[in-house]
Amino acid sequence: MDFSTFLQQIVNGASLGSMYALIAIGYTMVYGVLRLINFAHGDIMMVGAFMTYLATSMGMPFGIAVLFGILVSVAVGILTDKVAYKPLRDAPKISLLITAIGISFLLENLFNVLFGGVPRAFDAPEYLTKVLHLGEIYLPVTVIIIPIVTVFILTSVLWVLYRTKYGMAIRALAFDIPTVKLMGANADSIITIVFILGSALAAVGGIFYAISYPSIDPLMGVIVGLKAFAAAVLGGIGSVTGAVIGGFILGFTEIFVVALFPELGGYKDAFAFFFLILVLLFRPTGIMGEDLERSRF
Amino acid sequence: MKKSVSIIAAAVLMSGLALAKEVKVGVVLPLTGPIAAFGQTSNDGLQIAYEQNNKLKNGDTVKLIVLDDRGDKVEAATAVKRLLDKDGVTVILGEVASGNSMAMAPVAERAKTPMITHASTNPRVTKGKKYVTRACFIDPFQGAVMAKYALDNGMKTAVVVTDAKQDYSVGLAKAFKKAYTKGGGKILKTVLINSGDKDFNAQVSTIKAANPSIIAFTGYYPEAALLVKQARAMGVNVPFIGADGVGFPELVKIGGKAAEGFMYTDHFNEAAASSPEAKAYVEAYHKKYNKTADSMGALAADAYGMILSAMNKCIDEGKASDDKECINQNLRNTKGYKGITGVINIDKNGNAVKSAVINEVKDGKFEYKTTVNP
Repeated sequence: MDFSTFLQQIVNGASLGSMYALIAIGYTMVYGVLRLINFAHGDIMMVGAFMTYLATSMGMPFGIAVLFGILVSVAVGILTDKVAYKPLRDAPKISLLITAIGISFLLENLFNVLFGGVPRAFDAPEYLTKVLHLGEIYLPVTVIIIPIVTVFILTSVLWVLYRTKYGMAIRALAFDIPTVKLMGANADSIITIVFILGSALAAVGGIFYAISYPSIDPLMGVIVGLKAFAAAVLGGIGSVTGAVIGGFILGFTEIFVVALFPELGGYKDAFAFFFLILVLLFRPTGIMGEDLERSRF
Repeated sequence: MKKSVSIIAAAVLMSGLALAKEVKVGVVLPLTGPIAAFGQTSNDGLQIAYEQNNKLKNGDTVKLIVLDDRGDKVEAATAVKRLLDKDGVTVILGEVASGNSMAMAPVAERAKTPMITHASTNPRVTKGKKYVTRACFIDPFQGAVMAKYALDNGMKTAVVVTDAKQDYSVGLAKAFKKAYTKGGGKILKTVLINSGDKDFNAQVSTIKAANPSIIAFTGYYPEAALLVKQARAMGVNVPFIGADGVGFPELVKIGGKAAEGFMYTDHFNEAAASSPEAKAYVEAYHKKYNKTADSMGALAADAYGMILSAMNKCIDEGKASDDKECINQNLRNTKGYKGITGVINIDKNGNAVKSAVINEVKDGKFEYKTTVNP
């Protein structure tokens, strides 16, 4: 591999890694508070992408369409919380997990019925799909935009968590829900805020995913959702910075397996997950994760 | 006297009506999931053929039971089981993806139920099977056509893209490589992808470094569209040649300008339809769907037609229209069936021997280039 190809592969790794990171943040946020692995996260992503697609195909400008996509996803997030998760607040965690899987299937099949399973072309404006040439290196603008968005979201999430009253409440909830309730705080409305944040993050992730890979279908969130989940676990689930690190590691592993061993490219997912197992063997809580019972963000 | 005759006639008529059976044909297609376009267009064509003809010679009616397997191998096999156990079908029609057909074939074989796949081109689908037939050509032929077309156009170095998850792609890549190296071409590299993947930048960078004169893409359309788009965005302007898995409107819708010039082998192009069967089908298709008739639909219609023809032959032979053994015999012995996609002859392995067409994406349309005979 010559040097420019190598550099190009680094760019490719950063591009894919930042994508995973962006989605993994949402996973980890919800988990951090509710101890719920929200398997519907990937599907909320899909909702965000589809709604944006719908809005643009009805002629709305892209910015408004994105806003529409995020709003609908947030609404879906709130609705699932109210309908599916809220009645199970005091149930064992495993019931919640199974409900989350159920919601995931429901959303996938609902969109299959509404939109059909054939992939659709996602149209994004020119300035988001441009590719810059730096000598021999081709740099899609999303490679620059996604990390900026990721950092922006990361700081905003951290700011909300550590600098606002709601954030304090969220962190308190993450420690002990019954005590927070005893203190007179409305735990349910705070959990709703968590779902609003989580769904908005998922939608943003989905829209960027659709911009980078402009083919959307109702099952688009399944594989990427799993990968982002793996990234979150790798980084230490519950840790927002860990999710970013995990995302980048996963992205680079995938790209470099293909780059270095093209014949093994078909097994790149196996490599990525093997790597995950290896890390978990030595650090069961993930890279940034501390003791599972104590770590909160 | 007259009265009794008419009574007898009425009785015969009644018994005839009462005896008119319903023969069930079970259809398994990927109507949703990543390769949903395959299943949906297959179903479109199938419905046309069904509307045109759903009665057998002796008055029996044919009923279609269509199941969706979401493009999944396990679901495909389960669907066959359900069709056999619950619905009691006489014949199975499907699937599109070779991997899925290969999951279905053993189930049909065990139940001694004839199965015909309209579009699975991997040789292993019918290999060693007594009850599996297909209405399409096989990949060694298709791969050779791809290789020859590339070589004839002066493209002597190739990178082969294989979808490691699809038996179809693995088989086709092998066939292409064999024919291409035999014809004097050189395979520079094989890069692997997985269906369902969306990021192919790593593969594109590898292809770019290898600098071939053609990229032989052996997978399906969702990956083809994204791969060609990412390749063109990274300044790889090498032509692509694919096979029957890529020729779908989604290639152009998702690939956009990047898909221009994408060449591929296929079973059918309505622009080349010359037989009365093909013309009638294309006309009915346009009338019902108001879009271009594609190869999957035409193949499905042909497979359905072959089933009906086999059933009618059984009736001629004095057997029941749902005699599985007889239908299977007649399917396997199909000779000179005048189908929409050309004249179909089934060889001793259950494979159709027929011509292929080569198309190219031009101005967002699939332009007919040439027909290659076996």
